[in-house]
Amino acid sequence: MTPTPEQVAAFADGQLEAEEAIVVAEAIARSPELQAEVASHQALRSRLSAHFAPVLTEPASLTHLRLLRHDDTVIDLASVRARRRRLAWIAAPALAASIALAILLRPPAPVQDYAQPELAGMLDRQLVSEQRQGAAARVLLSFVTRDGRFCRAFSTTDASGIACRDDGGWKIEGTASGTRQAGEYRQAASEAAVMQQAQNMAAGPALNGAEEAKARARGWRNPH
Amino acid sequence: MSLSDPFASALLDLLPRLRRFAAGLSRDRSEADDLCQATIERALRNRTRWQDGTRLDSWIYRMMRNMWIDEVRARTRRGQTFIAEELGSDVGADGGQEAGVMLGDIDRALAKLPDEQREAVILVMVEGYSYKEAAEIVGCPVGTLNSRLVRGRDALLARLGETA
Repeated sequence: MTPTPEQVAAFADGQLEAEEAIVVAEAIARSPELQAEVASHQALRSRLSAHFAPVLTEPASLTHLRLLRHDDTVIDLASVRARRRRLAWIAAPALAASIALAILLRPPAPVQDYAQPELAGMLDRQLVSEQRQGAAARVLLSFVTRDGRFCRAFSTTDASGIACRDDGGWKIEGTASGTRQAGEYRQAASEAAVMQQAQNMAAGPALNGAEEAKARARGWRNPH
Repeated sequence: MSLSDPFASALLDLLPRLRRFAAGLSRDRSEADDLCQATIERALRNRTRWQDGTRLDSWIYRMMRNMWIDEVRARTRRGQTFIAEELGSDVGADGGQEAGVMLGDIDRALAKLPDEQREAVILVMVEGYSYKEAAEIVGCPVGTLNSRLVRGRDALLARLGETA
């Protein structure tokens, strides 16, 4: 008996009932060709699942979280897409007002005026385009202020904030931390508050990948 | 995060998986997040139709899959290509500069599959559903699902190289 490609696939996925599985297994055992087919089926399966796995650990989308908090009414996918087209370069500010109830945007404590070495190192080196999605500590975006400084919004497990480069290092211009919510919601909400502040400070849109790389090469100094 | 509404709370638990499924169906992440958003909205509106004791994940997956198919058909009618017109203009729109087009080998190979083959591959090989569960989500016989999976797999292997 020569099993069909469908049977071989079902065998590789563990989907055959006992009797059929035995018959197919015997045929596969006799055929190196079928064994290779099973192996490449399983290799593809592993490759695909590894490819999509990072999505599971990404921070939740603020829009999705907000929907689950209170039912907004939107009719269909087309209107969602139409609405998206109207969004400014940062969508977060509109959301921040509704979800950031427990968020405190506060001036930095004196000792934290400048980023500590670990954070400063990330701000010096890390490009948004190169970092791993879903990483616990991330740079959210980079921008130039109206008074001509490079600033970067960041998020770590403890807090989110904005740091701007000057002679003394990365000066912390504001931090946000959630006080009541736990986990990813807190992180998403404090990121939203930081994004709102970033938009208030920025002279233009966020830097793209090439602009970030150029800024890094210049030590994040003298944008103009 | 816990929500006082148990239905919304259950949706929240499913959210990462829904996002992954949407990413598998769509061509880019902004499209995927729109699909995910529309699905959450529809699920909340139709919550009374979900029967307690049945699997919420299959119910929502079916809903997302059907919305996606509707969207694909609507676009075909409008004569649009699959590449969304606003791609690239929404950089920074969702938590920074991470959202964007998926341009890896795997994404490109998946994008070339017919929808019915792609959904079969994604449901079984990424989402881990049995053939029977996947067939129920799609609404086709198990044998049909099985053969779509094989055709999709063969096309992917041909594009990605036999070594996968």
